[in-house]
Amino acid sequence: MSANGNGSSDRGAPAASAITVTLPTRPSTADGTETDGMKRAAAKQLIEKYYYQLTDGCGNPQCTNQHCASSTVFSQKNLSKNEAAVRALDLFKQKARLCDSTPASKVPKVPIQETGEANHMSTVQSSATERPSTSGGTSSSASATKRTKTPFLTEQKVHAIIEQCQKKGDWSLLIRTVGETFRNAEALNLSFVKQPKSKEQMRSMEEDADKDKDENEKEKENQDSSSASVSPSDETDVDCSTDDEFNKVTLDFNSTRRAFEAMFSVEGLPFLSALNNAIMYLARDVEMQIRYHQASSNPDYINLFLIIMEIPVQQSPEILENAFPMFCKAMGCLPASAQARIAKVWSKFDVVRLQKLLESLQQLITVKIITGQFGRTHTISDDEGIAGAARVMKILYYASMIGGRCDQLELIKEERRVNQEEENAMHEFFQGAMAQEPKDQHQPKPDPLATELQITPIDCRKPLIPFENFINDVVNEHVEMDKDFTNYKSDTGRFSYMMHSFLLSTATKNLGMYFDNRIRMINERRTSMLQSIVHGAPTMPFLRVRVRRDHVIDDALVGLEIAARDNPQDLKKQLYVEFEGEQGIDEGGVSKEFFQLIIEEIFNPDFGMFTYDDETRRVWFNPTSFENDAQFSLIGIVLGLAIYNNVILDINFPMVVYRKLMGKKGTFEDMVDSHPTLASSLQQLLDHDGDVEDDFLLNFVIGFKDVFESTLSHPLKEKGEDIPVTNENREEYVELYADYLLNKSIEKQFRAFKRGFLMVTDESPLKMLFRPEELELLVCGSKDFDFHQLEGATDYDGGFNSGSRSVRNFWEVVHEFSEEQKRQLLQFATGSDRVPVGGLSKLKLIIARNGPDSDRLPTAHTCFNVLLLPDYSTKDKLKERLLKAITHAKGFGML
Amino acid sequence: MAATRRLQKELTDLRKAGLSCFRDIIVDEKNMLQWQGLIVPESVPYDKGAFRITIDFPAEYPFKPPKVTFKTKIYHPNIDEKGQVCLPIISAENWKPATKTDQVIQALVALVNTPEPEHPLRADVAEEYTKDKKKFLKNAEEFTRKNSEKRPVDK
Repeated sequence: MSANGNGSSDRGAPAASAITVTLPTRPSTADGTETDGMKRAAAKQLIEKYYYQLTDGCGNPQCTNQHCASSTVFSQKNLSKNEAAVRALDLFKQKARLCDSTPASKVPKVPIQETGEANHMSTVQSSATERPSTSGGTSSSASATKRTKTPFLTEQKVHAIIEQCQKKGDWSLLIRTVGETFRNAEALNLSFVKQPKSKEQMRSMEEDADKDKDENEKEKENQDSSSASVSPSDETDVDCSTDDEFNKVTLDFNSTRRAFEAMFSVEGLPFLSALNNAIMYLARDVEMQIRYHQASSNPDYINLFLIIMEIPVQQSPEILENAFPMFCKAMGCLPASAQARIAKVWSKFDVVRLQKLLESLQQLITVKIITGQFGRTHTISDDEGIAGAARVMKILYYASMIGGRCDQLELIKEERRVNQEEENAMHEFFQGAMAQEPKDQHQPKPDPLATELQITPIDCRKPLIPFENFINDVVNEHVEMDKDFTNYKSDTGRFSYMMHSFLLSTATKNLGMYFDNRIRMINERRTSMLQSIVHGAPTMPFLRVRVRRDHVIDDALVGLEIAARDNPQDLKKQLYVEFEGEQGIDEGGVSKEFFQLIIEEIFNPDFGMFTYDDETRRVWFNPTSFENDAQFSLIGIVLGLAIYNNVILDINFPMVVYRKLMGKKGTFEDMVDSHPTLASSLQQLLDHDGDVEDDFLLNFVIGFKDVFESTLSHPLKEKGEDIPVTNENREEYVELYADYLLNKSIEKQFRAFKRGFLMVTDESPLKMLFRPEELELLVCGSKDFDFHQLEGATDYDGGFNSGSRSVRNFWEVVHEFSEEQKRQLLQFATGSDRVPVGGLSKLKLIIARNGPDSDRLPTAHTCFNVLLLPDYSTKDKLKERLLKAITHAKGFGML
Repeated sequence: MAATRRLQKELTDLRKAGLSCFRDIIVDEKNMLQWQGLIVPESVPYDKGAFRITIDFPAEYPFKPPKVTFKTKIYHPNIDEKGQVCLPIISAENWKPATKTDQVIQALVALVNTPEPEHPLRADVAEEYTKDKKKFLKNAEEFTRKNSEKRPVDK
């Protein structure tokens, strides 16, 4: 298709030399966005011209331009398309001579004028949205608009450029290419796209053979290739190919990574500042696009974000500190649907890669905070770069969750349904409440990303990256929770760590919730004042509970029940407890005692509401309790009030209780914590190799004991007594077993309990901020092992007494132990690291002499909390042996 | 009761096996969860007597282990004055639901016959056992004669 135009060379000086072009690598100025765009368009046109001059020539056989294919002095014959493109860029940079006349049919119809660059805008823009061939070359279509191409990258191109630069010892080409591509959103979106291999080879062969391909055919092929790269391809070297979302992405991650790897192994990383500037430019561009225009409907639009996030920024502080924050900011503006897609793609990634990305983001936040000037007026909640990084981290946070082990979607849906029902029931319950006010609108809004992905942190059992890794110590140190809380409440869409609570430690989150609670209390107080003025009712600024010491439960029950019935909002007032006939003024201490008394009484197994498991030292709901709902509601209210009023309770619930409080259902997995022996037995039933029916002789029945030690049994399904458990149905059996044990058998009791809890906490951000483990921490405080208490209650046997040398040594050694070592010792000697209600003194540890000095390790009878200690000769030896035993002896230490 | 079928089968099998070291199995048909029986050891110093034990099965059996208690007093490093015994095979941590009661009994009998002074429940008896075996044997024999039950006469 060459030399078809009758180009005339008498039109005077080459136009190119007259046109001033802005090199794309020049750092752009903030106000130059508009003009930059135009200049870019002009530059594109010029490069185009160079390209065709190289491939086709100007058509004038007498041409003297050494860069023109028509010329006799043309030195670069048989350039491949890629090479030609690269060369064209080169020429453009050098402002090389451009023949006046390139083949007529290919010249844009619009005449090039020195000042008329804007005229090209329309042409260029329309072409930019078109999808060029993925072959990395050009299409030789006749229409001018088709040809205006975006300088996108491929892995091959990157390698070629690096090689070329290496040969020349001049990196300007790489620098330029990087600068051009990474500043251009369209270019990035087209870069590193997947290419079905067979097709690619086929195409290049075809193209070599027949350059003058029919235009229609070419067109068709373009469509082919684009559709091929969209549909789930037969790529096997990608991390995973099962998920739709992942395959829908046209970006070839492996190729991208290899390209970056190649780039970042270039010595001295000469392209860094170009890359940095380009990304800064890109970030501004993209942010504008997202904020002020409709976000692109092009499904490939997320490619550019995925590509930038692949850049190993940790290798370059320059980018990490400058371009990366800006880009994160732009990325944080993406609509939830796009973020969700990115999360889905990331969730298929290798954990190591996600960890790296997390590290980069953490590093960015840390560096920003440490180097930034933050104070009370400009807090770290106000910095946009940090906010951006936090928003990107949120995407990663969700990716880590959906990529991890989550509950089944059906289960989640079922739970949502049940929760909704219970909530409705609760509102009905309060319908009769006299002073019930319209619900305030301050209920925490669900995270849009969570809604989009249909998952909340509590639905994830085990994320790819542990939740703790998202916590940033520096943030926790510097965050001003009161200021941040204002941002959170102010509905202006300002950044708040409350909405990105994965960065915060439990203590910091607790502070956030504390503000929420206090504000609510003050609100209630104000409402109460108002009511007293309007209705003439006496002011009731506090939730006042008056109890008799010997009737604490009954009085509290009546008092709180009345409050709840009258106006459930009263529960959100500050608690004020009075003991009948006592002078104490409740500044916190009295309510603390009040809680303590209630807990002691209600959790006493003799009371019949809860059972106590010796093995786990935890309480559980008594499925056969005779108590009415009100008492379970009371304990729920107490739990809620304790959190609300920042009081720590001495309660030992298994984790599943907190999960259930937050709206989950108990499953077999929870039994590992709540009923460890049963869980391990059921697991063995599942793993049993032989014939389950013959070896276990079980039916679909569950057996349990009530508080009075009488044995009960319950069919797990209809006619369960007659259905044997077999290899085929054992999974169903285990599922039903767990469901009955953790949900069904205590349904009535738990519902009342949860209702009580929600009466106090339903509007607080509790559920949004905390995971079940953290909720437990809020209720119970961190476990501290008071070994002096333990020492005081320890008995001795086998010749030891409290004064024996080894015993003295033992206590001296263990008092110096770290918390973790104490925990291990407790686990080792008693089989559980739980502190029983009432403290370690309730443990009744026995230390028995196990023979004279020897090299034997200490052993333990966990059945009876006996620690067997040889009479070691020295303290050091005792310490060494003891540490060895507790750190290595996992599980049961023989007889 | 949940595990009736299994316990019935185990009991039948155990009776059919006719162990010489575990006899006189008494089970209340109304409450399958408690068994009684007589341990008849073969080794000195316990071979002069027999020891009554109870096996208590929890309601959750076989998902929780049974508990063994000596009703007859015994002078043994691994069995305390209250008749409690710490047997790994039926500890909560090691329990396997596929374990049959006869295996538990075998383990128990083995422990009675061969004390394990390394992991004693009665440290004093254990120390005597390791240091002064003669004295231990004398004490244990005497204790057995005084406290244990009569050995059933073989047919």
